[in-house]
Amino acid sequence: MANNNKAKKLKPALVLGALSVILLVLVIIFFAGGGREKVERFIEANVPKTPAVAGEPAATKTVTLFFLDDDDDLLHRETRQVAAGPTAAEEAERAIAELIKGSEKGLLSPLPPQTKVRQVFIGKGGVATIDFSRDIVEKFSYGSTMELGAVYAVVNTLAFNFKAVKKVVILVEGAEKETLGGHVDLTRAFLPDYSLVAR
Amino acid sequence: MRDPIDRTARGAVIAVALLAALAVCSVSGQAPAEQGQRIQTMVIDPGHGGMETGAKGKFGNLEKDITLAISLKLKAIVERNVGFEVVLTRDKDVDVSVENRSAIANNRKAGLFISIHANGAVQKKVAGSETFFLSLNATDEETRRLAYLENNSSALQSRIDPSSDDDLMMILWDMAQTAYIKQSSQLAELVQEELDALLGTKNRGIKQAPFKILAGVACPAILVEAAFISNPEEEQKLASEDFQMKVAEAIYRGLARYLRMPF
Repeated sequence: MANNNKAKKLKPALVLGALSVILLVLVIIFFAGGGREKVERFIEANVPKTPAVAGEPAATKTVTLFFLDDDDDLLHRETRQVAAGPTAAEEAERAIAELIKGSEKGLLSPLPPQTKVRQVFIGKGGVATIDFSRDIVEKFSYGSTMELGAVYAVVNTLAFNFKAVKKVVILVEGAEKETLGGHVDLTRAFLPDYSLVAR
Repeated sequence: MRDPIDRTARGAVIAVALLAALAVCSVSGQAPAEQGQRIQTMVIDPGHGGMETGAKGKFGNLEKDITLAISLKLKAIVERNVGFEVVLTRDKDVDVSVENRSAIANNRKAGLFISIHANGAVQKKVAGSETFFLSLNATDEETRRLAYLENNSSALQSRIDPSSDDDLMMILWDMAQTAYIKQSSQLAELVQEELDALLGTKNRGIKQAPFKILAGVACPAILVEAAFISNPEEEQKLASEDFQMKVAEAIYRGLARYLRMPF
C-alpha cells in the first residue's frame, strides 16, 4: 500500500521533470539555431506593443524597406512607420507605397516613382499577391540588375515584415505578366532572397 | 504463398534495373565533352527587340541594338570555326516573345543556348560584366522534384515532345532548364573567365537569377551581360565595333573550352 502510494506520487514528478528537461532542450535549440531574428520577429508579430502615448493604442507599425545605394547594387534596409491595421494586407500596401515614395536617407528607390499599388492580397497558403499599376512596367527601361532590384525589393519587403507572407506573386493591372522588362520571370511565385541585402 | 514472394522479387529486379539505367543516364548527361559531340545546333538569342528596347543609355544607345550587333558577330565566329548550325532568335529589329525564343531553341533541338544582353542599373556607377544561369527559386518540395529531373537530364529531352500542346507538357517545358543546371553553370563559368580575360571590365562573376528566357530552354543555357549601358563609360564601349567583337570572341572561347575544342 505504502509502496503503491509512493509510486503514484513519484510518477507525476518524473513526468514533470522529463517535460521540463525537454522544454529546456527545445528552448536551447531554438535560440542556439541562429534563430534570434526569428525570435524577434515572432515577438514583434505576437506581443502587443506598448502604446506610444499612455492610454492610447499604438497606431503605427515599424516596417523595414529595401532601397538601393549609389555605391553598390545591394539592397539596403531603412525602417519606417506606417499606420497599423486593420489587416496585414493593408499594412503591406502602405509599406510598398513607402518603398515607391523613396528613401529618407538619400538611398535610391528601385521602383518608378509613378507606380501605384492597386492591391495586396494575402492568401492562406502564405502567398501574397501584389498588383501594381502599369507604371511599374512603362516608366523604367529595365536592365537585368534594375529588374532584379525592383522585384526583390518588393518581395523582401513583404516577406520580411509580414510573417504570414512566404511567397510573393507580382501582377500588373490585375493580370499576370511574363516580365517587367524582359528578364525576371513573373509567372512563378518568388521566395525572398536576402543574399541581395547588404549586411 | 509463392506468388507474393515472386512479385516482391520481380519488383526488386525492376527497381535495380531502373536505378542502373538512371545512373547511366546521369553520368552521360554530365560530361560536357560528350555533350559537345552530339550538338548539331546552337541558338544565340539577341535580347529584346522591336517595341521592347531593353535598357537605355544616357547617349541614346538601346540594349536591343547592342545585343543584336554582338549576336551577329558571335554567329559569324562560331560558323567560321565550328561545324554546327547557328540559329538566331531574331536577326533584325523585331519583337519576339520570351516564350517563342525558348520554343525556337527547343523545336530546333538546340544543344547550346546563349542569350546576349547589356545590363542596366538605377545607379550610374555600377559597372562590369557577368554571366547568369537559372536559379530555381523553389520551395523544399519543388527542390526534391527538381533534384530528380536534374539527375535524369539526358532522358528529359527525349521524354518531351515539342509538338505536344498538352498541359502537362507545357509544365514540363516550363521547368525544362532544371535538368541542365550543372552544365549551364559550367558553361557560365568558362564564358565569364574569357570575358574577364578579354574585356578589361570589372568581373562581376557568375550569378543565378530566375530569368524567364532561361527557364524554358531544354539544353545548357546562359545569359551574358556584356557590360552596363546605364554606365556612360561602358555605354560608349558597348556601342563600339571593337568592344562588341571582343565580347563575341570571349563568348566563343568560353564555349569552345566547354566543348573541349581548340580555339
